[in-house]
Amino acid sequence: MKARIPRIAFALLSISVAVLSSRADDGLDAPKNALESTIHELLEVLHADNSQLPYDAKREEIIGILNRQFSFDVIIQRALGRNWKRLDEIQQRQVSTLVTDLVLQAYTKELQDGPKPVLTFNDPEVLSKSKIEIDSTAVLNGNKVNLSYRLANIRGRGWQVYDVLVEGVSMVSNYRKQFDEHFQTKSVGDLINLLKDKLNKA
Amino acid sequence: MKSLMQLALGSLLLLSPLALGDDLIELDDLLDIDDLSDDASSSSGSAGIADPFEGINRAIFGFNDFTYKEIFEPFSKGFVKVVPNPARKGIGNFFNNLSFPTRFAGNLLQFRFGRASQETGKFLVNTTAGFAGFMNVAPEFDGLNPPAEDIGQAFASWGIDHGFYIVVPFTGPSSLRDLVGRFGGRAVDPIPEPWTQVDGSGTRLALQVTVIVNDLPEIIDVYNSITEPAIDPYAAVRDGYAQLRAARVAE
Repeated sequence: MKARIPRIAFALLSISVAVLSSRADDGLDAPKNALESTIHELLEVLHADNSQLPYDAKREEIIGILNRQFSFDVIIQRALGRNWKRLDEIQQRQVSTLVTDLVLQAYTKELQDGPKPVLTFNDPEVLSKSKIEIDSTAVLNGNKVNLSYRLANIRGRGWQVYDVLVEGVSMVSNYRKQFDEHFQTKSVGDLINLLKDKLNKA
Repeated sequence: MKSLMQLALGSLLLLSPLALGDDLIELDDLLDIDDLSDDASSSSGSAGIADPFEGINRAIFGFNDFTYKEIFEPFSKGFVKVVPNPARKGIGNFFNNLSFPTRFAGNLLQFRFGRASQETGKFLVNTTAGFAGFMNVAPEFDGLNPPAEDIGQAFASWGIDHGFYIVVPFTGPSSLRDLVGRFGGRAVDPIPEPWTQVDGSGTRLALQVTVIVNDLPEIIDVYNSITEPAIDPYAAVRDGYAQLRAARVAE
């Protein structure tokens, strides 16, 4: 009987550790799996038989897939930073749509032109109580690119990507620098015209 | 024995999510969209780099942009058609293996002796099992894939700042610190002067041109992926450079 008590104590301790770790893992696996499946689904669409179709023809489908995990409104608002308040509501919507299209059009073209990259997703790293980072690698033509997705647990939306880092370069910070530079000498109207111009030329 | 049971029960309590605090993520801890946006407005953003010569830099950037798009890109497209990807990869691996002394010196100057020995191991494995470096087989072995270090990163680890941003004709973004580091790297590079192991200036030049031409398709791809979706391509490249260097130094 005496020998059994330490064993029971040890068993209780082990069970408690296992239960708690599995609870944490289950919780973090969900956003990781969702992100992984979103990216794979996007690649399927980009490499489908109609892959040579222009971005406009697949826009709704691409945005529909990405919207499940990417909060573009949050991404653009964060990228504009303090400049966001310079825009009225109509301009905010307009700039959000134009920037989203500009970025997606460029990356869609890049991703669908070559072979399908081989993706690997690492386990999420906790940044804070409501933020995680999922590191991944994409191997394309033998070249490895490190991509990190930063996700926040947003009320009413769940885990959503709010920034993407390519080789450690934050897209949100990079755009924020560009917007800051733009608004030092130019207006919101200039920005909208510039974005439309770039989209037409692409 | 009672104390053992108490220890187990106590451990259970200690391991509860409340007691774990920040270590265990609280999945019901939700953020409002405004919290995320405020966080962005208040933060200073990415690693900065001073740009007191922005006017001159923008002019050189314009020249480089024209050269990349009108000369290098069409040439690079032709080169890709003539030289297939595996051959380009092999040539790239060969020259990358030859630049081992620069990475080794970068590690030593940062007192990263472990990584310096990993670089040495990588060089030896790739030179032998990788057929003179044409194949990069080292990553197949544990601990033989250290991140690439250079002299500029070593200067940064000593606390030396970028100084200021410089756009170099043809080669693009750099900084005073990294440019000095690049010249320092040449001192241990086996191809260029002063430590050259190659006889004949013509051969040296041919090898250096081969390195640039072979890397060109990749450089053009990266350049386009940054500048095409950019609002201000100059600012995008400058910030991308500053962030990339900061990430490499932190690595």
